Amino acid sequence: MSTNTMNIVAVTTSLSEDSTTLKLTNRILGQAASAGESVGIDVTTDVINVRGLATALTDMTLTGFRSEALEQAFVTITAADAIVTVAPVYKAAPVGLHTLFWQLIDEKALSRKPVLVASTGGTVRHSLAGEAVLRPMLSYLKGIVVPTTVFAATDDWGTVEGGRALTARIRQAGEELVSLTATIIGAGNDDLAEVADPESHAGAGASATRGTSSANRGIVDEFDPANVTPFAQLLEG
Amino acid sequence: MELGIFTIGDVTTDPTDGTTVSEHQRIKNTVEIAKKAEEVGLDVFATGQHHNPPFVAPANPPVLLANIAAQTEKLELSTATTLITTTDPVRIAEDYSYAQHLSDGRISLIMGRGNTGPVYPWFGKDIRAGIPLAVENYNLLYRLWREKNLDWEGNFRTPLNGFTVTPTPLDEVPPFVWHGSIRSPEIAEQAAYYGDGFFHNNIFWPTSHTARMVQLYRQRYEYYGHGTASQAIVGLGGQIFMRKNSQDAVREFRPYFDNAPVYGHGPSLEDFSTQTPLTVGSPQQVIERTLSFRDWAGDYQRQLFLIDHAGLPQKTVLEQLDLLGEEVIPVLREEFAKGRPADVPDAPTHESLVIRHREGRDPIPGGGEGSRAYEDRQARAAEGAQNTTREGADR
Repeated sequence: MSTNTMNIVAVTTSLSEDSTTLKLTNRILGQAASAGESVGIDVTTDVINVRGLATALTDMTLTGFRSEALEQAFVTITAADAIVTVAPVYKAAPVGLHTLFWQLIDEKALSRKPVLVASTGGTVRHSLAGEAVLRPMLSYLKGIVVPTTVFAATDDWGTVEGGRALTARIRQAGEELVSLTATIIGAGNDDLAEVADPESHAGAGASATRGTSSANRGIVDEFDPANVTPFAQLLEG
Repeated sequence: MELGIFTIGDVTTDPTDGTTVSEHQRIKNTVEIAKKAEEVGLDVFATGQHHNPPFVAPANPPVLLANIAAQTEKLELSTATTLITTTDPVRIAEDYSYAQHLSDGRISLIMGRGNTGPVYPWFGKDIRAGIPLAVENYNLLYRLWREKNLDWEGNFRTPLNGFTVTPTPLDEVPPFVWHGSIRSPEIAEQAAYYGDGFFHNNIFWPTSHTARMVQLYRQRYEYYGHGTASQAIVGLGGQIFMRKNSQDAVREFRPYFDNAPVYGHGPSLEDFSTQTPLTVGSPQQVIERTLSFRDWAGDYQRQLFLIDHAGLPQKTVLEQLDLLGEEVIPVLREEFAKGRPADVPDAPTHESLVIRHREGRDPIPGGGEGSRAYEDRQARAAEGAQNTTREGADR
């Protein structure tokens, strides 16, 4: 195995300090880290709080201008191995600030990146909102959204039953995220790769030997002279 | 180092008094601004090309440039930009050649693709083909200016058979071309391929981004063997508003900034000043900021400022030109010359291009013998030949 590290970046729209959204974010990241640990992967995590980029996002919408902070956030996403997105649901959709972030990021920003969708809301009636709104958006950005999404309502934090169900769901989604990511970047031990991709031993093996150069993760730095399309090729059309 | 101004020809209501100049007045003002630019000692006046309100920048810039040429002596007249995507390259070749003759070689072009989507269909083009249009059209223009009796066939216009541009460029040396782009690596590559200039109008972009694009162009310029990376021909945009006292500048410019069509009601003047080259302050601040561009762009050749937009009154714009001429330009000239390596060229002029042409030193598109691009081509050709031989043997 060429690598045993994995960087997961959470994009979270936590509107108040110590919000349930931030709490959920931290629990998912913690769960993903221990899922990684159990198969020998050292998981590092970062959190981007969209709240801090609110003005920059509005400015970019109006003028096309990207602030340094926003550019930095986009670069962090591009460099990540996997993404977790967490946002509160307002009126049956993730809060607009959060979707705006994904609407302004570069096309294909999530290419070959597994993504875990999570959201919070007052009641379970909001539970499919993240699924319905974000899954197509993230797929458009070429992200690979894992099957299990996480939704936490107020009840889930208060009742014993709710808490158990939420914990189980976080564990399930976290494992899906970590195992899929491990397959793509070629990390962890072989058991894990098999679990993630039971159909194809060859595929798992091949991905492991490919290593983890940025090109293999679908990141192409278009301003790197090594990646530029030679002009003669452009001329030929 | 060429120092100058560029205009986008916007007709914008002055937010401080609600007045809007007429199109006629704005056009006349533009000519007055250009004449004043020469008077105060600037090197370049550049105009955009527009086909839609609220802009009165000319649809065919040589019309304006020729008029200014007739009223000036030394000023270099440029575009910023010429729409290479939607303008027929044959007309570009003819019209700019003509203006080049009228102006005795004072014409240069910055090529751009244009960012107004609806313009494309007005001229029968498809915005999705923006890059291929820029690539094919410029290639045709390049050849039109250099070859007689041209036979040509492409995807975006009717074929040409035995076509010769009239008039041919002055002294058989076409106007110098810069390729402008803010976002597309293909255009930096295009500029490098031909050994042309690269202009980044960085006024809406953080330095880090602009620096990377300039760097890409420089490295590819060297790859194609036109010179070292530090000798590549780089131009930058800039945006300034000055008063002797910097607080006065901020107070006076703020309403124009806050209501400007492009970035109004968006970022604050302060944020925008930190994150982009916009400088609102004293002449000294403008000097310091502009000189700092060299830290990340390297020694460069052309600096154009935007000074006449967002509804600023003509009187104010002319005052900006006075300040530029009296306090900014002389210092910039002196300071930019300091520490500039002797082998870094100045911005090309018609005279320097004529000498280059007569000495047989014109850049070879794609790289001549001795360039890394040439070596790579040779290696690929050898590899191809080998493969062909092998296939033959297998059969």
